[in-house]
Amino acid sequence: MDNEREGFPITAIREIKILKKLHHENVIKLKEIVTSQGNAMNTLSYLCCILYSPQTVLLICLLQISYVVRLFSGPEKDDQGKPDDNKYKGGIYMVFEYMDHDLTGLADRPGIRFTVPQIKCYMRQLLTGLHYCHINQVLHRDIKGSNLLIDNEGNLKLADFGLARSFSNEHQSNLTNRVITLWYRPPELLLGSTKYGPAVDMWSVGCIFAELLHGKPIFPGKDEPEQLNKIFELCGAPDEVNWPGVSKIPWYNNFKPTRPMKRRLREVFRHFDRHALELLEKMLALDPAQRISAKDALDAEYFWTDPPPCDPKSLPKYESSHEFQTKKKRQQQRQHEENAKRQKLQHPQPHSRLLPVQQSGARPQMRTGPNQSMHGSQPPVTGPGHYGRPRGPPVGPGRYPSGGTSGGYNHPSHGGQGGGGYGSGPYPPQGRAPPYPSTGMPGGAPRGGGGSGYGVGAPNYPQGGPYGGSGAGRGSNMMGGNRNQQYGWQQ
Amino acid sequence: MAANFWTSSHFKQLFDQEEVDVVHPLDKEKGITLEDFKLIKMHMLIPICKLAQSVKVRQRVVATAVTYMRRLYTRRSMSEYDPRLVGPTCLYLASKAEESTVQARLLVYYIKKIYSDDKHRYEIKDILEMEMKILEALNYYLVVFHPYRSLPQFLQDAGMNDIGMTQLTWGLVNDTYKMDLILIHPPHLIALACIYTASVYREKDKTAWFEELRVDMNVVKNIAMEILDFYESHRLITDERVAAAFNKLKP
Repeated sequence: MDNEREGFPITAIREIKILKKLHHENVIKLKEIVTSQGNAMNTLSYLCCILYSPQTVLLICLLQISYVVRLFSGPEKDDQGKPDDNKYKGGIYMVFEYMDHDLTGLADRPGIRFTVPQIKCYMRQLLTGLHYCHINQVLHRDIKGSNLLIDNEGNLKLADFGLARSFSNEHQSNLTNRVITLWYRPPELLLGSTKYGPAVDMWSVGCIFAELLHGKPIFPGKDEPEQLNKIFELCGAPDEVNWPGVSKIPWYNNFKPTRPMKRRLREVFRHFDRHALELLEKMLALDPAQRISAKDALDAEYFWTDPPPCDPKSLPKYESSHEFQTKKKRQQQRQHEENAKRQKLQHPQPHSRLLPVQQSGARPQMRTGPNQSMHGSQPPVTGPGHYGRPRGPPVGPGRYPSGGTSGGYNHPSHGGQGGGGYGSGPYPPQGRAPPYPSTGMPGGAPRGGGGSGYGVGAPNYPQGGPYGGSGAGRGSNMMGGNRNQQYGWQQ
Repeated sequence: MAANFWTSSHFKQLFDQEEVDVVHPLDKEKGITLEDFKLIKMHMLIPICKLAQSVKVRQRVVATAVTYMRRLYTRRSMSEYDPRLVGPTCLYLASKAEESTVQARLLVYYIKKIYSDDKHRYEIKDILEMEMKILEALNYYLVVFHPYRSLPQFLQDAGMNDIGMTQLTWGLVNDTYKMDLILIHPPHLIALACIYTASVYREKDKTAWFEELRVDMNVVKNIAMEILDFYESHRLITDERVAAAFNKLKP
């Protein structure tokens, strides 16, 4: 389908419908949707240009009142290539309530260490919000730390419903398996399942839970095969005994491990609290049918034993990370480091149409395979989540030290024992959101032209840009395109 | 799609009859009367349904499209939002919102096929542009509930779920979209009114069943009366009358 001709993207429609329907204290509130023809938005766009890198930045925090996320940039030219006087070319923006942090960003801050009641508090809010989504028949499909926003009252809210969609319990239709950021993607999706349900989100929750306790992401795969391998190494290899029906999943035979692999979760994380481990074990069940639901997880012993989850309001108020100057400075520094790193690693140069580093944050979008119904309104600045926060560079200072022992919450007893790339294993060169695109699809160019800013529209995204079915991936999904070629998989 | 009608934007946006029956000042200037206004809206269903059949989408998409159209004209004028373009565009938008996407070029193709006159020379970009204008006019509220969902449950509960009754009530529900009922009443009451009308028509006494429901039967009966009134007046409408109404819209 020619997506550039399909007007307002269906993914944006889904997102709006979902956001307008969900009203919960643990779900981000959509305040309004604005089109950019008015002066207010021009001013806003103008401010964005100054404060942030232009056009690609989908997130602005303006006077700490709202988040603004660009949803859609209208057509710039008509069929004949003549400039169009369509007043909608400026774009449509979603305005969200303002949140101070995101979970990953918060954890990234040097010197921050979450307490057990704090982790319980965040986890409980995450599960409450997710349970609400699930009973309202919405799959989030991109649960990860950077999409969990936290305000200074300690409230956690689910955000970024760009990949979310409604599902029905009765007639399961085929859904795309190319969702959820790689590190948080459950095995059934990696194995190609297209019929799935709320359990996919619960796997992501399990990953986040383990990450909070462990101090770093537990499955930092750099592509799908490696991702599955990391999962199998920890959770054991799936077979008909522990996961009835697994052999019928499309790509099971491609990925079937050649050697037997035992579930080592309890062993690797034996230093975790007993109840935490018990809950984690149920969240990271390979078989989605056996995976715990959000509702049952909320009833888990873990939340009802000492120390209890704390009151959100009692949590420390962290300094907001939105001072524009520091943010910009950090971005520049990160950019610098990454440039250096990239040169060192001699990664393939991006497609010539892509402008890799134009200004801070104006990085090309990550690509995944074609026909992917993802929307790529990610701030390339940080990769994950379009509410993205500044965070540590993919590798380097902050929370994901490659040594694996200096992390904020790394348990001393853990260091060095996790085999197979676990824990002590070095991180892949790409951390979150590697900056280089894997395919040279047109949509991969940075949105908009140079420093032209919002009002002008984006030459490379005539319309439907960020949502096009040609699909911009997000975060570490970037390998998708390559992998697709490699294995010749069909969607 | 939302799980609960009562918390939905649809419920919050229900109108009073008086709010719906307002002819936009711009249209009034052109001599459009309330009756013309209703006629035009009713007749916009014809191209929407024809197109829907051509591109093969579910009835629900048609219903959503018509609801968008009716909501649009509570806020915008027909002079600025040409009904000939609004109809197909609403169908286009509804097809996305109801997860059965239809390509714009396909719609354009069928519009040209169905209407060969000059008034229907619309291109893809016209549809896309109108889509944006409609989205904005609707304030991006796209969730619509329809009577179709509750209809089979009610029929089964009332023990009237035979094919004849199902078809009759389903057809009645389809016809309610020729009126503004969907903007004014909760969908389950519209469904009940259709069942009520059908049971009276088929001379099946379901009074006991209706009484057991915890709904305001006065509202249901009023809706049923409106439906009957509509059928009554519908017979008197001539093609000339419709053409005259559309002609007033000419610039």
